[in-house]
Amino acid sequence: MTSAPSARIRRWLEPLASLRLALWCMGLSLILVFWGTMAQVHLGTYNAQKIFFNSFVVFQNVAGWNCPVFPGGLTIGLLWLINLLAAFVVRFRLHGGKFGLFVSHAGLVLLLAGQLLTQLYTIETQMPIQIGQSLNYSESYRETELVLIDRGHSEYDEVTRVPISRVQKKGTIVFPRLPFELRVREFYPNAQLSMNSSNPPSEMRGIGSKIQVEPQPVATHEDDVNNVTAVLEVIDQGQSQGVWLVSSGLGAPQGFNAAGRTYEIAIRPRRNYTPFTLTLKEFHHDVYPGTDIPKNFSSLVQLGNPDTNEWRDALIYMNHPLRYQGKTFYQASFGNNDTLSIFQVVENPFAVSPYIACAMVLIGLAIHFLVMMVRFLRRSA
Amino acid sequence: MKNQKLSRWPWIVVGVMALYVLASFLKPAHDTSMAIEDFAALPVLNGGRIKPIDTVARVSLLMLHGKQTLKTPTRKLSATEWLMDMLFRQQQANTYACLRVDNPDVLGLLHLEQRRPPLYTFAEMGPALAAIETQAGQAEEVKAELRTPYQRAIVQLQTNLILYQKLQNTARPADMDRFADFVSAPHSDEAHQREHLHFMAHVAEFACVPERAPEGVKWTSVGESLLTHLGNTANARGALAFARMGDALRQFDPVEFNAALTQQQEWLRQTAPGEARLAKKELLFNRVQPFMKSLVIYLLAALLVFGSWLRRSSNWARGAMGLVGLALVVHTVGLLTRMILQGRPPVTNLYSSAIFIGWASVVMGLVLERIHRNTMGVLVASTIGFLTMIVAHNLASSGDTMEMMRAVLDTNFWLATHVVCVTIGYSATFLAGFLAIVGIVRSALQKDWPALDQQKLQTMVFGVLCFATFFSFLGTILGGIWADQSWGRFWGWDPKENGALLIVLWNAFALHARKLGATRGQKFLMLAVAGNIVTSFSWFGVNMLGVGLHSYGFMEKAFVWLLAFVVSQVAVIAVAVKQDYFSRTN
Repeated sequence: MTSAPSARIRRWLEPLASLRLALWCMGLSLILVFWGTMAQVHLGTYNAQKIFFNSFVVFQNVAGWNCPVFPGGLTIGLLWLINLLAAFVVRFRLHGGKFGLFVSHAGLVLLLAGQLLTQLYTIETQMPIQIGQSLNYSESYRETELVLIDRGHSEYDEVTRVPISRVQKKGTIVFPRLPFELRVREFYPNAQLSMNSSNPPSEMRGIGSKIQVEPQPVATHEDDVNNVTAVLEVIDQGQSQGVWLVSSGLGAPQGFNAAGRTYEIAIRPRRNYTPFTLTLKEFHHDVYPGTDIPKNFSSLVQLGNPDTNEWRDALIYMNHPLRYQGKTFYQASFGNNDTLSIFQVVENPFAVSPYIACAMVLIGLAIHFLVMMVRFLRRSA
Repeated sequence: MKNQKLSRWPWIVVGVMALYVLASFLKPAHDTSMAIEDFAALPVLNGGRIKPIDTVARVSLLMLHGKQTLKTPTRKLSATEWLMDMLFRQQQANTYACLRVDNPDVLGLLHLEQRRPPLYTFAEMGPALAAIETQAGQAEEVKAELRTPYQRAIVQLQTNLILYQKLQNTARPADMDRFADFVSAPHSDEAHQREHLHFMAHVAEFACVPERAPEGVKWTSVGESLLTHLGNTANARGALAFARMGDALRQFDPVEFNAALTQQQEWLRQTAPGEARLAKKELLFNRVQPFMKSLVIYLLAALLVFGSWLRRSSNWARGAMGLVGLALVVHTVGLLTRMILQGRPPVTNLYSSAIFIGWASVVMGLVLERIHRNTMGVLVASTIGFLTMIVAHNLASSGDTMEMMRAVLDTNFWLATHVVCVTIGYSATFLAGFLAIVGIVRSALQKDWPALDQQKLQTMVFGVLCFATFFSFLGTILGGIWADQSWGRFWGWDPKENGALLIVLWNAFALHARKLGATRGQKFLMLAVAGNIVTSFSWFGVNMLGVGLHSYGFMEKAFVWLLAFVVSQVAVIAVAVKQDYFSRTN
């Protein structure tokens, strides 16, 4: 070994730490943010975010081919993070009037890292809750699940949940704890369902015999809802027990018998269960006098947690969410003549990182710019 | 700049402009002895807040007609005079060409020919009312951002016609004579009375009668108040006053009109004195139009700076300084008055953001002038002041500029911190961009512009850009924190958030590029000018996308102007590129 390892690492890190690379990162971010913003007109915020900002590569349809055309938000963010970290090893110094820059760039590292982790690990769900109702789960906005419910127990219901991705793969689904199998005949990510009583006689059981299914392209705008639909055959010891149409577009679950027990089957929004329950006691929707302009929405809920023996009221209103056990409940919407309140439920373990990061960036910038201004004024005086 | 004898004329110019502002405080004269200005000051509840009738009149006329005054064949009506006819003499009002219809397809539907100006009377629309309603109903089924120009125009016309008819039935059933007698008539007529009053209560555009209620004062419309007191209408004093005013106006009886008005003022003094005072303040604010006044003065100041460069005279520069100072005082008083009337921080909607961006730019421009003393700060301050006032003036036509804040925005804390910081960031970025434009254009036109002055200008741009970076970052972050508090995510890639982020990124890009050394001089100025494009996109462009939680609404006319602004900035950059190229080849 002729040169010290630190010198070799430095030589290796130097191009990674260059200001030129930082400029590239900023330039690429500028293009990506602008493009991703414009794309929201047609894609909606959710999908644009998925395609442009929460991806490693942006794919675009070029003459029928799905081509990689631009680095995605995660790639640029990671590259920038590497650039900054390398710069801390190679370039940034604490002394020589550079203290402010050091702090602000350290804050930037934390900000980028926090945002990357947030985008990868945040779970957003919603909780629509009627006045008087108690819920111990929230629902996914877009993801669905197939459930089989056995209500035959006196103390509890036994719920078997199948991720929709498993249904999408088709084939036969085998359950370790259920006496039957499900064969997926058809799967449609989105379908239009219409009543049609003049259907030709078919093997379809339940409501499915009266419904016509028309496959639809997957809806991309966030206001549009996908009716996730599947045609399932229940097989009990090799014997077909009938074919069932299940869809998130159908309201109530359907029932069937297998191995002497009754089961309910349905596709519904994927649920996240919580160890506590929320009961909606009151909901208020205030408007400015003489107008329909909303002034405030507020929900009075009771929080019940048998584990911690907590039973207390909480008020959730505009800009004042309820934070409890890593979940935050926000007043998001309402419905049913003001008897239904909808909370947005967010779980983000990295929620605090931007607060610290931003404080660092701002303090660093303030110090640096003040130092520069004092120098300038002294020189010109 | 030659040092010449200081002359007195700049101060005379400033004095004249100050008189021009002060003169607007005077009550306008009317050719009738009716106390029209007192009527204009009556407080009403409309759009969720208490405002003078004058504001209702101005905003309604602006929405229907596009201006705050109306020319009739015989004379020019003020907004309140027009509204009085709308409220009390409906048949007369129907002969005023106060409905603006630009779209030729809509005119086709109405069987009307195009004319200049494109103003039509309600009477002309009469036969087509049903058709308009049907067509608008069909158009409304299409999502707002996907509507064709015809569909947008027909929906707009229907909205305007609804407002028109609501106004006409707010104070009395359209064209009923002797309304006061009608409501005081004996009981045999009650079903008939109820029918009319129910309709009025249902469609009333504003509530002008304060009634004592257990929880304080409840504002009711004329129809509602008379319904409550039916059979004993003497108790509906405020509503009856309006009925009498209307009857008097229809019979051209100024004495009776003023007597009824005094009765209403007396009732207000007893029930809602605070509201009456507030409405009077707003009436004065409407009359003075401080932002229009500062628009004119800023323009004059900018012209004087150019003059000072051409004449190389410090007199002109002093005049410009004085004028910008005067305009800033008027601007500040206007801004503060708005804040007091609304009880809000300065920026609550797109209109007020224009007012505030202008104000902050002017203040920063004057600070620069104080440091550098080279008339650059004054020039840029007056130019941005003038331009933002024009933007604000055009934004005002979309309705009440002091509308109430929707639920999630109803927080003075975040409006005062996030919104103010972001708009200061906009202001500083514009200031840097406009300074850079001055630098580029001046060095293109004036070949002997000293290199030292050019360098000085670049230092100014750099300093302002640092300031801009700090505030746009701070504002963007505070927005993130607000979003985290109210929607549960710090960052959601919402268009308005992205717009703010673009400014931060662009400013950071420019500062780092300068550090790299390759982009000193003209190239750095080009980046600063491009910052104008980024900022205008963030300020206006994202609102035109029609998506996102922050959007203020779709505005197509503004889009053309935004495009024109972007093209002008690209042209400036092109000039700089050309200069940069020649300076290197020589």
